[in-house]
Amino acid sequence: MPARLALGRHPVSDAHGAVDAIWKLESATIIAALTRMVHDVGLAEELAQDALVAALEQWPTAGVPDNPGAWLTTAAKRRAVDHIRRAQRLETKQAELAREAGLREELPESSDDVLRLMFMSCHPVLPTEARVALTLRLVGGLTAEEIARAFLDNEPRVTRRIAEAKRTLARERVPFELPAPAELVARLASVLEVIYLIFNEGYSATAGDDLVRPGLCLEALRLGRLLAELAPDQAEVHGLVALMEIQASRSAARTGPNGEPIQLHEQNRGRWDLLLIRRGFTAMLRARDLGGRPGPYVLQAAIAVCHAQARTAEDTDWPQIATLYNALAQLRPTPVVHLNRAVAIGMAHGPEAGLAFVDALTADPSLRDYHLLPAVRGDLLLRLGRAAEARREFERAADLTRNAAERAFLLRRADQLATDDSPGMTLERATEEFLGGLDSQTARSYGQTLRRLCRALGGQVPLSSLTTDQVTQVFATAWGQAAPRTWNRHRSAARTFGAWADLDDLTAGVARRTESPAPTRTIGPEEIEALWRLPNLPLREHTLWRLLHESGTGVQVALSLNVEHLDLDDRRARVGEVWVNWRSGTARLLPELVAGRSHGPLFLADRRPAPARPAASADLCPETGRRRLSYERAEYLFKKTTQAVDPTGHGYTLRQLKPQRTKRNRA
Amino acid sequence: MRYLMTSKGGDAPDEKLFTEMAAFIEEMTANGVLLATGGLAPSGVRLTSADGEITVTDGPFTEAKEAVAGFALVEVRSKEEAIELARRFRRIVGDGESVIQEVFGP
Repeated sequence: MPARLALGRHPVSDAHGAVDAIWKLESATIIAALTRMVHDVGLAEELAQDALVAALEQWPTAGVPDNPGAWLTTAAKRRAVDHIRRAQRLETKQAELAREAGLREELPESSDDVLRLMFMSCHPVLPTEARVALTLRLVGGLTAEEIARAFLDNEPRVTRRIAEAKRTLARERVPFELPAPAELVARLASVLEVIYLIFNEGYSATAGDDLVRPGLCLEALRLGRLLAELAPDQAEVHGLVALMEIQASRSAARTGPNGEPIQLHEQNRGRWDLLLIRRGFTAMLRARDLGGRPGPYVLQAAIAVCHAQARTAEDTDWPQIATLYNALAQLRPTPVVHLNRAVAIGMAHGPEAGLAFVDALTADPSLRDYHLLPAVRGDLLLRLGRAAEARREFERAADLTRNAAERAFLLRRADQLATDDSPGMTLERATEEFLGGLDSQTARSYGQTLRRLCRALGGQVPLSSLTTDQVTQVFATAWGQAAPRTWNRHRSAARTFGAWADLDDLTAGVARRTESPAPTRTIGPEEIEALWRLPNLPLREHTLWRLLHESGTGVQVALSLNVEHLDLDDRRARVGEVWVNWRSGTARLLPELVAGRSHGPLFLADRRPAPARPAASADLCPETGRRRLSYERAEYLFKKTTQAVDPTGHGYTLRQLKPQRTKRNRA
Repeated sequence: MRYLMTSKGGDAPDEKLFTEMAAFIEEMTANGVLLATGGLAPSGVRLTSADGEITVTDGPFTEAKEAVAGFALVEVRSKEEAIELARRFRRIVGDGESVIQEVFGP
């Protein structure tokens, strides 16, 4: 007889709560079994959801069945069979036969189904964010709303991400099977990465007010433990589980009463969760028993074990940890690993050694905005007794972190340290004063440069302490890879600032870079011919364009020609020191354009100048009173006309009429 | 969140109960839900302190039916999940009672 739900004050919501709990426990198994049947994870999830809706309708009145998981599975499978029959009715006989053949080949359900589902939802065809969302949805049984809340994202976006991921899996025909042995390591790495990402988002929330979101940690732990049972012969899986168990064991100890972070060496080790530590050790032993060369997760777990074994911070086996980080850096030469390695070196071999290592890292562009770099530097400086510098590093770290609790913590650390006696003008204040005196567009442009300097060097550093070397290094790290134009723009902003602040040598180490001018595209011979063939070319334009093309002269020079400069017989004209030579095409047109004039501009505007905009007398035609044709107008007309012959439809500029010089000509 | 489930009573264990219970424990462990579990001996030692004096008494103190016979520490997402697990457990062990309480700390 089905057990009636205990009737509390809210019987319906109690039933919903029970259904939700059952769903979270069972959904992975149900969806996996259905995916095997219908070969489409999106459809499988829909069918499972239908069964869940049925449960929500029936259980509150009929009671929760004895075995609710089995009830849901049966209901969902019935829907799957209905779906397959319906699809078959719609298909041709041939397709039906093919499908039946396929069905017959099918393997029986197995406990590996959930593992297949995991490999599918972590498939490399999906972007990382989609893998995370889909895994939590399909394997963790979380709703889009719960995922959105956990990741501080909005629900519609998570829903879209999940839907898109399912479509991608269907489109790419990702099969519901375990990876082939050859790709197992890579595919497993993707699954491990997704789980550890979920864990880390929970453990060291990158954004928001809370430092730890325990829900996500638990979710990741469960996924990891499940994976360890499903793939027990993979050392890295146990390594990841060990790592997560041990890190999670410190959850309670790593935040203070106000949510501020407490660093490992200051934690009350009595608050570490011994149960989780023991579980971590057990997982580590399983990894070790499997043997083989330790992978990145096993190494990280080994480091976590070192910390967990130390009864006090002073007992920590730092040389061993430094060795493990060295090994890890071989496998994962990421900036974060290097940074942790620096910490370990600082602990094992003294702050000076650590600082030297950290300083080498400051040139790494990928660590540019990583708040832990200045935080670690600050620690080491403090241990060396360089409090003022340490303070600035903590302030800089606080500026860089996006986590509110961490920022407050870093600022508190900074406040505990002595300030310089008279800090005077700081970089940040100088920047704001400097930018305040500029027009808004320049301020915006220069602001990009100077705020980057502030972020990289710390806004509170005294202006007078800035060195050429520091600025040079920021330039190399921030814009070393940028285009010469960008580099020069930042350089000139920093130079102007330096001049304003009376720090002339600020950019002495930053050399100007040569900008290669955008190569001028010449107009191809076919397009030129097409241009000349255009019907009703106005005489003035035709003449100007021919002249530019035949003479290769500059546009300004051509427009500055006066009738009295022309030597029509010798097909040339003299403008100042420059000779302009043309050929028959121009020669044929010129007499008509001159039209008996003896003086004044050769190329004339269509109208006389408006009274409000008088032209210089040299630019006026003494006979017609019209003005010299302007560069802008000439350019505009050319662009407009040539849109008809330019294959791209943009039209050309007058400069492009200049015939391309060959190398020989240039020499 | 963690819950401690303590259980009393239940049918005398037979082969079937052992098999079902082993499968249940295995599943809960694999799911990452069950952190620790164990049976408790019926006898025990009781310590009471009153007026700064501690008295130690040997058990047993209650009828076998009334004694706590086993515990399970589970890590779950909600109270409902803990209830659902306890429900499954009770279905296997038969008549008796279980209490679930949220665990704080360490």
